This record gives sequence, C-alpha cells and structure tokens, in this order.
Amino acid sequence: MSASSLRVGIVCGLSVSVWFLTGCTASHEHGQELFEFHCAECHEMPNSDLKKQPPKLEGLFRSKALPSGAPATDDQVRKTIIEGLGTMPAFNGRLSEADVRELIGYLHTLK
Amino acid sequence: MSGMMNRSRIAGLAALCLIVVACQSGTKQFTLHGKVMAKDETAGELTVKHDDIPGFMPAMTMPYKVHDRDALKEVEPGDTIDADLISVNGGKEYWLQSFRITSQSGRQNAKPAIKHALKLGEPVPDIPMINQDGKQIHFGDFKGKSVLITFVYTRCPVPTFCPRLSSQFARIHEDLVKTPDEYNKTHLLTISFDPKYDTAPVLRRYGLAYLDNHAEGFAHWDFASADPVDMRRIADAFGLEYFEDDNQISHSMDIVLLTPEGKVAKYWSTEWTAAELETALREQANSRADRRGVKG
Repeated sequence: MSASSLRVGIVCGLSVSVWFLTGCTASHEHGQELFEFHCAECHEMPNSDLKKQPPKLEGLFRSKALPSGAPATDDQVRKTIIEGLGTMPAFNGRLSEADVRELIGYLHTLK
Repeated sequence: MSGMMNRSRIAGLAALCLIVVACQSGTKQFTLHGKVMAKDETAGELTVKHDDIPGFMPAMTMPYKVHDRDALKEVEPGDTIDADLISVNGGKEYWLQSFRITSQSGRQNAKPAIKHALKLGEPVPDIPMINQDGKQIHFGDFKGKSVLITFVYTRCPVPTFCPRLSSQFARIHEDLVKTPDEYNKTHLLTISFDPKYDTAPVLRRYGLAYLDNHAEGFAHWDFASADPVDMRRIADAFGLEYFEDDNQISHSMDIVLLTPEGKVAKYWSTEWTAAELETALREQANSRADRRGVKG
C-alpha cells in the first residue's frame, strides 16, 4: 500500500467517523433534551427529601435486567415511562409516542 | 507590561475565586419568562406559566417563592414578566427575584389573588371523596382524630412538589406507627387534583409505593379524589389554586391540619418540614385529650 493511498484511507476513515458521530449526536439531540427536562432532575440529582432515590440510568441497557428486576428491553422501559413504577410518576399523556422512542434511543447511548 | 500581566493575573484569580465561591454555594441563576397566573401574598408565592428554562425546568405552570414582599406587591395576575430565577442547594431551593413586567394587558381578565377560604377554627364542609379502595369517604369520617391533609396528583413530575409531599407524609406515617397511641388519634389524607387519571386503582398503587406495600397503612393514610365539582368545592374551602394545562396540573402547595372536631387548625404552604408537621399533628391530637380532661 502506498503512502498516498494510506492517507486517503485515513482521511476517508476519519470522515466516516465524523459523519457517524455527528449523525448520532443529531439524532439523539431531542432524546437528550427530553432526558434532561423529564428524567435528569430525579435520576441524576440525589434528593434526600424523596422516599426512594431513583436509580442512575447510565448503562441501563447494558445489563439484562432493569433496576426493578424486569428485563431490560425497550418495551419494558416504554411501559415504565408511560405507566410509572413505584414512586416514579407516569408520563402518560405528557410524552408522545415519538418522544418516548427518542428518549429510549438516548437512554441506549448512556454508557 | 509586567504591571498589565499582574493586573490580568489578579483579575484571573478574582474570577477564579468567584467561580469557586459560586460552585461552593451551588447558586445558579436562570431567566424566567412567563405569565403570572396567580399570586398568594400570604404564602409569598407567584404561580407562573413560563417558557422552557434551559438547564432548570421545561415549560410549565407552577408556583415560585418570592422573598421580596415589596416586589411581590407590584406584580399582579395577568402580567407578563421576566424574572431572575435563583436556584441553590442543587435545585432544592429556588425563588424569583428582580421582576421586569413586560406587559400588564392581561390584568383585567386575571383571577383574583388566592385567599384561604376557611379561616382557622372554621369547620370543613362534609364533601364526599372516593378513596384508594373505591369507598366513599368524607372529612367527617375522621372526627375524633387530628388530620393532616395534602394535595397532589400522581403524575406530578417535579420532585420538589408532589413526590416531596408524599415522601414527607410517608416519613410522618412511619414515625407515627412507632407510637400506637398517637397513631390511633391521627390520620393522613392525600387528595388528588386529577380525578380523571387518579382513579381508585391508580391511587392504591401510588399509596402502596409510599407505604412500602403495607396495605394496612391505608387505615391511617387515605389517598382520595373527588369528582371535578366536589374537587372545586374542596379547593374553594381551603383556598387551593389549580388548573390543568397540557396534561400537567399546576397547583398551589398546601397542607392543612384539622382539629379532631373537623375544624381548620393550621395552613402551610412552602415553608415547612416533616418534623414540624408531625409535631403539630401530634399536639393537635393530644390537645383533644387535654380538652376532654378539662371538661371531664
């Protein structure tokens, strides 16, 4: 492989990476916004006034089970968001189907 | 040159010190833009329907504390305002200050300022509600016990509002369990602003979450809702303000203590602690025994 073709390869590789990264960022921007507005205040900031501390959501989909013990699937997380669980309020009627999809998409990116 | 460098170093250090101080105190400042929906001068609160506050709160209608009582006098329901929102202690405490009224054109159509309708010592009307078991209950059912009442809706997403109220009531309940005598002379009542969503099964599920799944706790803590007309009567009786907007209910944060005779003993708005509520509830329960003692 010549030096010039290696350079072209590296440049192409970098371009694809940049496209991939910016593409991902753009597609999860709304999900992240929803997360910050609706989830972060409870899940990211410990609050001793609450009866139960909501769990952190990083790596939610990396384990097989959710903190509740239910399987870590999109359907289960969707159900929890819509119906609530324990002291977590239901978001039924406040988030559209598209919003929930965006939010779950963003939750998948939290490592 | 070196003088300039020294000055810029000093300026840099000063800026760093300010940042450190700001970080230590955890003070954050945001700009709120919105319309004043209600004013409660007694509680020192403004309920504002506001736009998104990036980094703090999505667009919603909610009450905010105002410490500057003189500034509060100048603002009226219907006004469109810009204000500084100060948040401290990781967002657990926040208030509005430095109001800029950008329009007063809405004043004429605005609702009057909130007033507590029932005065201290006045009896509570016997309005029917449905509790978590689907059973009809009335305020009168609790006569003989001191009753602590609060008002929430189960879908409330703001941790410093309904979840805090229910969490603190749970703390009081757990404490009272340890003293059976006072447990039997007191009662907790959580009333929902959202009868359409907060049906008996929803209230039961919500209540169980705060009772650690001990259903026997419902004998001491009822979760209830009333039909919309009766809920409005309850709100009028206690001077509550609430309105539904985009599937979210904006409401004043009120706690009411009733005497064992079913009369209003005390109101709280935002300034309270669970310990203070519990003490007042216990004292009210025991004062009945004192009164009996005097009579007897």
